[in-house]
This record gives sequence, C-alpha cells and structure tokens, in this order.
Amino acid sequence: MIVCVAVVGHQNNPLYIQSFTEADDALKLHHIVHCSLDVIDERVNNPKKSGTTLNEAFLGLLYPTLNYKVYGYLTNTKVKFIMVTTDLDVRDTDVRSFFRKFHAAYVDAVSNPFHVPGKKITSRTFGESVGNIVRSYTFN
Amino acid sequence: MANYLAQFQTIKHSCDRVVAAVEDVCDLWPTVKGLFEEHQPLKRAFLTNKTRNPVLVENLPVEFILTTDARLRSRFPQEQYLFWFREPYATIVLVTCEDLDEFKNILKPRLKLIVQNDEREWFIVFVSKAHPSNDQATKSVKKVYAKLEVDFSSKKRERCCKLDIHGPDTNFWEDLELKITECIRNTLDRRVQFYEDEIRKLSEQRFMPIWNFCNFFILKESLAFIFEMAHLHEDALREYDELELCYLETVNMPGKQREFGGFDSEDDQAALLKPGFKPLTQIVQDDSFREFDFRQYLFACQSRLLFKLNRPFEVSSRGYSFVISFAKALTLHESVLPFCMREVWVITACLALLEATASNHHDGVVAPDVDKEFYRLQGDLYSLSRIKFMRLGYLIGYGTDIERSPLNSACLSMLPWPKPAVWPSLPPDASSEVLEKEKTILQATSRTKHFGIQRKALPLEPSVLLRVANRRRASLSTGNLPEMFDGRQGFNEGSGLEASPRTPSSLKAPPMSRTNSSPGNFESPLDRPMRLAEIFVAAEHALRLTISDHDLLKTLSSIQDFETKYLNLTKGAAENYHRSWWKRHGVVLDGEIAAVCFKHEKYDLAANSYEKVCALYAGEGWQDLLAEVLPNLAECQKILNDQAGYMSSCVRLLSLDKGLFSSKERQAFQSEVVNIAHSEIKNPVPLDVSSLITFSGNTGPPLQLCDGDPGNLSVTVWSGFPDDITLDSLSLTLVATSNTDEGGQALKSSAATVLKPGRNTITFALPPQKPGSYVLGVVTGQIGRLRFRSHNFSKGGPADSDDFMSYEKPTRPILKVSKPRALVDLAAAVSSALLINEAQWIGIIVRPINYSLKGAILHVDTGPGLKIEDSYGIEMERYMETDSDAGASTAETSVEDSPDSPERDSEVLQLSDGKIVFSEWASTVSSILWVPVRALSEKLPRGSSSVTPLKQDILEGMRTVALKLEFGVHHNQIFERTIAAHFTDPFDVTTRVANKCNGGTLVLQVMLHSLVKANLIVQDAWLDLQDGFVHGKSDGRPTSTFFPLVVSPGSRAAVVFSISLEKTMSSGKDLQLQESILNIKYEIHGDRAAGAHKPVDADQSGADTERRDLVFKSAIVLQRPVLDPCLTVGFLPLPSDGLRVGKLITMQWRVERLKDLKGSEAVDQQHDEVLYEVNANSENWMVAGRKRGFVSLSEEQGSRVVISILCVPLVAGYVRPPQLGLPEVEEANVSSNPPGPHLVCVLPPLLSSSYCVPVKL
Repeated sequence: MIVCVAVVGHQNNPLYIQSFTEADDALKLHHIVHCSLDVIDERVNNPKKSGTTLNEAFLGLLYPTLNYKVYGYLTNTKVKFIMVTTDLDVRDTDVRSFFRKFHAAYVDAVSNPFHVPGKKITSRTFGESVGNIVRSYTFN
Repeated sequence: MANYLAQFQTIKHSCDRVVAAVEDVCDLWPTVKGLFEEHQPLKRAFLTNKTRNPVLVENLPVEFILTTDARLRSRFPQEQYLFWFREPYATIVLVTCEDLDEFKNILKPRLKLIVQNDEREWFIVFVSKAHPSNDQATKSVKKVYAKLEVDFSSKKRERCCKLDIHGPDTNFWEDLELKITECIRNTLDRRVQFYEDEIRKLSEQRFMPIWNFCNFFILKESLAFIFEMAHLHEDALREYDELELCYLETVNMPGKQREFGGFDSEDDQAALLKPGFKPLTQIVQDDSFREFDFRQYLFACQSRLLFKLNRPFEVSSRGYSFVISFAKALTLHESVLPFCMREVWVITACLALLEATASNHHDGVVAPDVDKEFYRLQGDLYSLSRIKFMRLGYLIGYGTDIERSPLNSACLSMLPWPKPAVWPSLPPDASSEVLEKEKTILQATSRTKHFGIQRKALPLEPSVLLRVANRRRASLSTGNLPEMFDGRQGFNEGSGLEASPRTPSSLKAPPMSRTNSSPGNFESPLDRPMRLAEIFVAAEHALRLTISDHDLLKTLSSIQDFETKYLNLTKGAAENYHRSWWKRHGVVLDGEIAAVCFKHEKYDLAANSYEKVCALYAGEGWQDLLAEVLPNLAECQKILNDQAGYMSSCVRLLSLDKGLFSSKERQAFQSEVVNIAHSEIKNPVPLDVSSLITFSGNTGPPLQLCDGDPGNLSVTVWSGFPDDITLDSLSLTLVATSNTDEGGQALKSSAATVLKPGRNTITFALPPQKPGSYVLGVVTGQIGRLRFRSHNFSKGGPADSDDFMSYEKPTRPILKVSKPRALVDLAAAVSSALLINEAQWIGIIVRPINYSLKGAILHVDTGPGLKIEDSYGIEMERYMETDSDAGASTAETSVEDSPDSPERDSEVLQLSDGKIVFSEWASTVSSILWVPVRALSEKLPRGSSSVTPLKQDILEGMRTVALKLEFGVHHNQIFERTIAAHFTDPFDVTTRVANKCNGGTLVLQVMLHSLVKANLIVQDAWLDLQDGFVHGKSDGRPTSTFFPLVVSPGSRAAVVFSISLEKTMSSGKDLQLQESILNIKYEIHGDRAAGAHKPVDADQSGADTERRDLVFKSAIVLQRPVLDPCLTVGFLPLPSDGLRVGKLITMQWRVERLKDLKGSEAVDQQHDEVLYEVNANSENWMVAGRKRGFVSLSEEQGSRVVISILCVPLVAGYVRPPQLGLPEVEEANVSSNPPGPHLVCVLPPLLSSSYCVPVKL
C-alpha cells in the first residue's frame, strides 16, 4: 500500500506531504522522502547515468530497499512527486499512471489563484483528491 | 560427469596459467630453460576473445613443461577433453644439429613424427651452439637451419626460429613470443569453439528431465577458466554471468524441491568473496548445487574477476544488489534457517564487501562520478549492515540504546521481524539473565527532551515484538496476550505498542508483582507467554548459536560493544555518503552519531553534528524534521554554555511552524530567550530573527513627503513569539531604492516596545530624508543583550515560515520623498498701479502647490516708503484660480460667489510682530491676503507741458514687500519672496496754453490722463496760481456743471482754465509761489482686485454717510508769456526759385528794436550794439562770413538792421536753416518770426549736362 506521497518544490522544500499509515510515525516518512531527494538530485545532475529516463517525468524506482519502495516523478518546473509504498511487486505502468493523476491533481491545486507558488499546498480539495488517488491504487 | 567435479576442482586449482609443452629432442632444455623462463611473461600477446575480436593481453604468463613431465603424461583421452584447458597450448620442439646428413637421416624423420599430430600447435626452435668465431660450424648450422625451414615452414606459416646461444639474440625472443602467441591463439580458438559447441548442446536440453546442471557447470566453468588463464577476464566474467543466469533460471524450476543450504557451520558468515570457501563437492545436490552456497560461489568468482579487471566499483554495485536479492532468498527460507541467519549473513556480507572493495579501490583511477557512485554504494552497504545490526541489537534488548530518530524508525519499523518457524525459547538456566534484562528495561527511562517537549517516540518495531514472538511459539494461546503489555514505557514507547490493546489495569500494576500473582505462568515457562526480557534472553541465546563469527558475537555481547560497533557502522556510512552525491544521507547519519556523542557527554561533537543536520533541514524547509533535531542542538548548546547559539536555537524553534510545538513549549522557548537575553552575557549577541519577526509597511500608497519634511511612518510588525515580548529598543532602516549600497538611515522607535503575538503597529518618527523613494530595509532591536535583526518582509500577513531560505525583498516603496520643488507660491494679486499716499489694499496670492499650509506663518516686511496700516485687519479670502484668458472679471465674480459655499473662506487676521498665522481653511486652497498699506511719497507730482516734458521714473512709484512664509509640520519649510507693488498718482497732468486772447487772457488747458485702472470721478478742480498769474473772469474753476467728470481707466480728460497775467507784478517783488498747484477733488471707483481703488479708510468709515473726497494736487509750472520783446528777429523770405545744393544763397534776418531802451535801468553797456550768432549745422550748411559778431543797432525804438550771411546748402531735403540767435539778450525779450524752428526745402543740385551723353531715340 502507498504509505506516503509528497510534493517537493524546486528548492527541495516540502510543499505537501501526506502519510497514509495508521501509526503516528509520519516523521520517518518525512525522512524517507527527504533522503530520496538525494537520489533525484543525483539523477538530475548526472543525466548520463540515467540515460533516457530523464526524457520523461517519471523517474522510476529511487530506492531498491528490502522493505519499501520509493518512486519519483519530476515535472518540468522541477517539482518532485515522491511516493513511498510498501508493496514490493509494483508494475511501473501503475506507478506511472498514479503519478500522472497525482500531477494532474497538483496542477489543479496550484492553478488556484489564491495559491502562492512555492508555498505549501494547504488546499483541502487537493488533499481529498490525493487521498482518492492513493486509495484507488493498491498495487496488488 | 558430476563425478568429475572433485577432480575438476583439483585440476583447476593446480593449474593457473597457460602451458607450453617443450619437446626436447636434443637434450637442450636444461641449457635454454633459464633463458626461456627469463623472458616470461609474454609482454604483448594478441589473442582472440569469444566474439572473435583481437584483444591485446599484456604480461601473459606461460609455463613451460617438458612433454616428458609427469603432469602431461598418462592421461586418459576422455579426461583430456574434459579438462582440456590444462593441456598445452603450444608445443615447442627444441632441436639442434650441425651436420646436414645427420639432420636428413635422423632428425628430420623424428621431427616429422613429432609434428604429425595435427591437434597440436607446434613450432621448432633451432638452437645453434656454434660459436661465431668458428666459421665452419656457423656455416653448417646455417645450412641445416635453411634445410629445416624448407622442410617444416610453409608459406602460410613460419614454424621455425633459431636461437643463437653465443650470438646476438635480439630478434629471437620477439620471434619466439610471436610464435608462442600464435600457437596459444590458435589452440584457444579451437578449444573455445569446442566448449561452446558442447555448451550449446547442453543448453538445448536445459528443460529436459535429463538435464544435469553440474555437467553444464563444468563445461561452462572450464570455458571461463580457459579465458581466465588467457587473461581474457572479460570473457571469463561473461561466462560466469551466463552461468549465474542459467542457474537462477533452473534452480527455481517448479517441481524440483531442492535443499537451500545454509545449515553448515559458519554459513552465517557470508562467503560471497571466498570462492574456495567450500569445495563444490560439498554443495552439490543431485544434479545441481545448493542455492545458498552456489550463488555465493558464483558471486565470489565474478568478484575475483572484477578485482582482476580492477573494477572494485562494480564489485560494490553487484555486491549490493546481490546482498539484497540474496537476503530475499534467505527470507523465503527463513523458517528453516537458524534464528536471524538472514540478518547475520547480511551484516557479514556487507562488511566483507566493504573490506574487499575498499582495499581495491584507489581514488582518482576512475572517473569522478564513478568514484562518487562507489562511495555511495559503500555508504549503502554500511547502512544496510547498520540496520541489520540494529535489528540484532534490538532483539537482544539493546533497543534502549538505539535513538528513536526518524532515520532509525524508517529503517527498523519497516523491516519485518525475523520469522523463524518457532521463536527461540528460553534456555532453562537463564533466569538470572532474565532478571538482569528486566532490570535494564525498568531502569531505562526515556530521556525527556529539553524544554519539556513531550513527543511520542517513533517506533523502532514493525509490530509489537511481544506479540510476534509469542505467536510464533507453538504452545501458546494468544488469549492472554494483553496481559503481557505492562507498563514498560521505558522501552516500548513506540507506536508498536500503541497499536496494542493496553488495558488500564495493566498499566497500574507493577510488572513483577503482577506476574507473581499468577504463579501458574511462572512455573512452566514453555507454556505461558514470554515476557519481553525473556524474549531478549532467548534471542540472545539463539543468536549465540547462529553467529559463528567471534568478532560479531563480541559486538553483541555487551551494550558498550554494541554501541562501538553501531558507531563504527554509522560513521562508515556517513563518511562514505559524504564523499558521494548523497549528502543528505550523510548528514542525517551525522545526526545519529551526534546522538551517541550526546549520550556520552561529548557535547561539542554532538553540537557540531546537530548543527549540520539542522542546517540541512532548515535550508530546505523540512520543518517537521528540524523540530525533531533542533531541541537536541539547543540542549547541547545550553550544556556547553554557548549562550549565543542556544538563544539562536530557541529563536529558530520559535520560528518553526506553530503547529509543531504546543503553546506551552513555545512559551518555554520564549522564556529561555528572554532569560538569556537578560542574563550576564559579556558581549551582545547578534541574531537574525527574520523568520520570527517580520514586518511590512501599511497597505495603500506610500507615505509621500516633501523634501525636508519629517513625518511619521507606521509599520506593521508581526511577532512570532507566543507571548508578549518587551523589546528594549526597536529601529527600522529605510533603504533608498535608487541607492542600494548605502545603508539606510535607522529610525528609532520610542524606548520600550511590547510586541503582542501577531500583528503590531509601530510608528516611527521620520526625520527629514533625502529625496527619493524608500523601501523597508531591516528591523533591528534589542532584548537585553540580544541584538536582533530581521530582514523578512512579509506581504501583509504572518510570516510564511517555509520560505525563510530566501528573503523577499520588499519592492513596494513605503516612503516617497519628492525632489525639492515649489511647495507654495506667493505673488502679487494686482499688477496695475495703486494710489500713492493713500491706504490701499495690496493683494498677496498664497497658492499652496499640493502641500498643506496648515499653521503657516507669513512674515510681512515692507520696504522703504511703504507702511502697513496697522489699524486695519488683514483680510484673507479664498482665491479662485482662473484661467489666464478668463481675465480678472471672472475672478471677481467667483470671489463673490464663494460665500455660498459652506466652507469658511474669508476672515480678518491681525498682524502681530509682522506675522500672520494662517487659518485652517486656508491650508489647502489658494488664498489671497489683502494687506492695507500706504505708500508714502513726499514728492508733489508735477504736471508736464511742452516746455517741461514729464520725466517718467518707473522706480518712482515702486515699493517692495518682503514676504517669508514658514510652513510645514514643524515650520521647517520656508518660502521667501519679495513682491513689488506699483503706486502712482491718479492722474498724469499735462498743460498747454490753448489760446492767447487779446486781452492777455490765456486759456490753459489741463489734460488729465488717468493712470489707474479705475474710474476716477472728478468732482472739482481748481488752480492755486503762482505769482504773476491771476484767475480770469471766474473764480478759477471750470464751470461746475461739467462736474462730476468721469475719467475711465486709461482715458484722458481735460479741464480748461482761463487765467491772465497779473499786470501789477513787479519784477522786484519776492515770489510767493514758484509754481501753480492744480487741485482736483475726485472720487475713485475701482476694485482692489484690479488695481487702484477706494482708500482703505474710506471703505472703513462707510462710503455713503461721510464721503471724504480725495484731492489730487499737482504742481504746474506756468511761465509768463513774453509780453515785452525788445527785439524782434525776422527771417527774411528766401528766393522764390528755391534752394539747391551747392547754390549760393544769402540768408537774411532783420533785427528790429521794438522798445526804446533808454529808460530801462537794466541795460548798462553797449546799448547800441547787438551780439549776434548764426547757428548752423555744419553738415547741412556751409556758412561764409562772420558767424558771430556785433552789429550796431540804435537804442531807439524802430531802429532796424539786416544781417546777411552767405550760405551754401550741402544736402538736399528738408533741413533746418541756420538760425540767428542773440546771445546777450534774454530769450523772453526776443520775438522771433517764425517763432519756432522751421524747415526749408533744399533741392538736389541741377544735373550737369557736360557729363551727359544725349541719347537719340
């Protein structure tokens, strides 16, 4: 299941971070998301290594750890979407479509004229729509 | 074939290099062996790799073995094929012969026999023993060698080479190397081809039941080994990779249930870098190998080759993935493996990989990004082993020692517990250990955070260990589980326990007494659920069985050793991450090191590391994480007595998102700040509080000030403090937008300011500023010894705490100081003249130019000749601006209209000390000040006539008024101007004698020219005549019916007086009046807005009741007419044909005596002579004759004389003729005819015909 989704701004500042665990352990997910920025930075700064993947927004699996997976997605405005899931068998296509929907929701949220770009997203509607997207993706 | 496995292993171990067989035909090998081995290894060998591409192999070692050697003898043919890799790759035939016959008869057949075996790659080395000095021998050796070449070399291939033992051998060794290489290459190709064919055959049967992986493995590894021997490591690696792929494909084939392995002793120590750890025969199982061992074996082979290829980086990267995937495989078999086998294996594998790769890695050999990637992998390996090590530590009860940081929580709480089939149970004699653990658990009190921050600790457990462990015990019913959760907050604070159903009763009951109260449980430890301490002890015992590595075991033996190892791993991970791209990982791990340092009271180290972590989180705005670390840093700083740092940390804590701390905590932060600020700090502490105190200008347009004006600037300051905070001082700098480098001027607010939480409005007194526009700069202030400054400009709202990484510069100007400009204008209202010597209103227009004149003071200082009429007030009216073409009349009406408007717009002001204070209403509108003044002039105006023309003196009536206006808020603005006013008499008087009557009566015409812009009404006029004149028939006044006579502005009027000469006047009498005085009584009807007007006093006293007429006096000079001319001078007519230039004429004057001079006393001498003088313009006239002289004229009346002068006119035109004057006679006594100057016409000269040529038409 998806335990955490996050939107990180182009200065690597968190814009939106939401965990979907029952336990009160959001901070560790903050940590995971924050550290995964290292991987995104590395990929963005070394386009040679990542090869063709930079041509698309989806960054793929960031962390090949034993127990959870971190996926990344980078928009043209260098806003990063990060998703942490505990599902170990995840198809890339599912993640891709998840991010595409997430991106769309984000675009809706920042198109709000009252939203200040670069500031945290506080829109409740955004939170709801992200929640819906997350719930609709239980990868297996 | 699997039977050959053991043999294969031995053979493989025994030979490690390419073998070249030496067929020593002539017993030469002992002689040349040394030389041959000296030239080892082959320096440059071009071999062909599997893809048939040439590869340069450097330093290829070759072993020379005699064919007679036991190693090459007595092998079965089948073995030969199977282990072909060990067979010689080249056969060197060593021969020598000095006799041709011997060669032909003995050697050649023997050689033919040797080389007939096609399968061998061979060549002949002919050794020449002939000494160069022995010509005979050399020659025959040459012949034999030539023959040898003919017999054995072909065009295709040279198979012979000659070694001259005594001669120079430069070419031979190269030749030999080439030939050996050629042989090796050919043999290699053939054998590779053979093995590939075999492998292909086997591969095709891969999915058949008869498939035997061992056979495949032997072939494949043989091939790999061939490549490895030939130093074609890349190819060898590829073979192993293929082998691995094939193995993974077949090992997990369904249907065949194989043993996994991992039950041997020391299996817990990863052998992934030790290919020879176990003999292959040990791990073989049926037709394949045990996965546990074989995969490690394959990886070991691969990594060996990779190290040979000098690619430790790849070992790391492959190693990491291998560890991960292998750990997954271990997870699958966890239930059968020893307890925590997986964890132990991962730790040892990571450590082994780290050790091996680190020793093989040399900085700078590879590209920098590969270097970085390598370090990243090292970091990954370290942190992986660190996680597993922590897990082991937790299981044996060292969890109290593990910091519940987000990192550790993320690592551990998402890592499932080990799942053995049965949880290890408590060994029988462990009750003392259990008690010991129990004690530790009870003693462990969770460290309360500084500031009394209450935070739920993060979990280190994926689920409640107690439950998991007990569930996995076969004999336990889970029904009484809840009773197990007693109040061990010290250890189980995490969310793991939170999820458990904790009953209130169990919380209250002390754990020991409660367990004692149920003795049934205690008696049979196998049946009752284990307590946490028991779980730990059981796990520890189980681990002792699992772990075979003493070092690792030791690290888990005590909490100190555990901590040391933990620190080592953490440091290793952090250091490596720091050298890679993954700085965040490194810094976060630094935080973990800091936690350990903190525990050991190495506060300075801890503070350093915490500082880094805080900087990382703060830099990117991860406030939640920052809120976790920052209190730790603050605590370190407090212990270290770093007051500045501590205060800064407190301020940073305060500036974090308000939701992150409770208000109580925030109040604690604030009180710390205030306490320290007011404590005895030596030096004031500067601190940036930009995220806590923000400020903004008020909304709306900026404050506009004129140059030099002070003002009050009000600024909104947002305080992020939870309580009111008293600032000792607060100041604000303004920065000019035009000039950014110059620090703005600081505005100080009044002494102590109390900032409420949230919005505060602070007003700063603004001294006069330079022109320009200003934005808010910095707010600085002081709280005790704390000097804070804030750069953060908020856009009219509370600080957005997430963007304190970039200060937004305020762009909207808060203050605009305009350039110096005219703020007010003072001007005279009326440009036309006023009446002199009368009290007149002088109008001063005060026109504020977009500037308030509130409370303005006008200083009025009149110049010489002008006096303010103090008795009258100064009138002030609203002045309506009119268009220039509308003229004065509209202004007049508008002034009259204005009383309708409700605003007050006129009043009477009093002048005191030459100052007038403006009223409120006049502060913004243009106004006009009417000041009553009187221009004083002693001088009597003089009339003018043709005889005494009026000399106009402009400055005569000019008076000045110096004005100084003080205005502005603090009367700081001063405007000075001197205005001029023109005063004049009402009339300009011109007189002339209009007619001279016979009776001596003169008609005197007095022309009055109005000089003012007002209607003058002449009521009366009379003349006070000077001596020698008397009034005519009347009383000296014109007929009264003509009055009143209205003289419009600018027009003329005339009054005629008849006067006559006083007959009785005697010349000897004193003259009483030198001049006549013209008196005119008049009224004036004018508007003060236009010019001259009724005098002020007339206005005041009421115009109708008592009219005080004005009297204008003007002096008129009357000259007595020449009544007794003694002499008359007559200009005699000129000739009728006129005057011509150049024509001589005679001018004649007749002088006649009109009076008898005999009786006159005044005449004294030369009465009979008259002095004459001819005055002529010498440019016009040439005069011949005496111009001046006496002519005799009898004293008798009627005597006459004619004076003739010859003249020649010189210019044509109307010119004045020469005049005859009589200098000795007074003018009054001479009557001239014509009386005044006159002109005569002078014609141009006649044409001179002599110069003309007649023109015939």
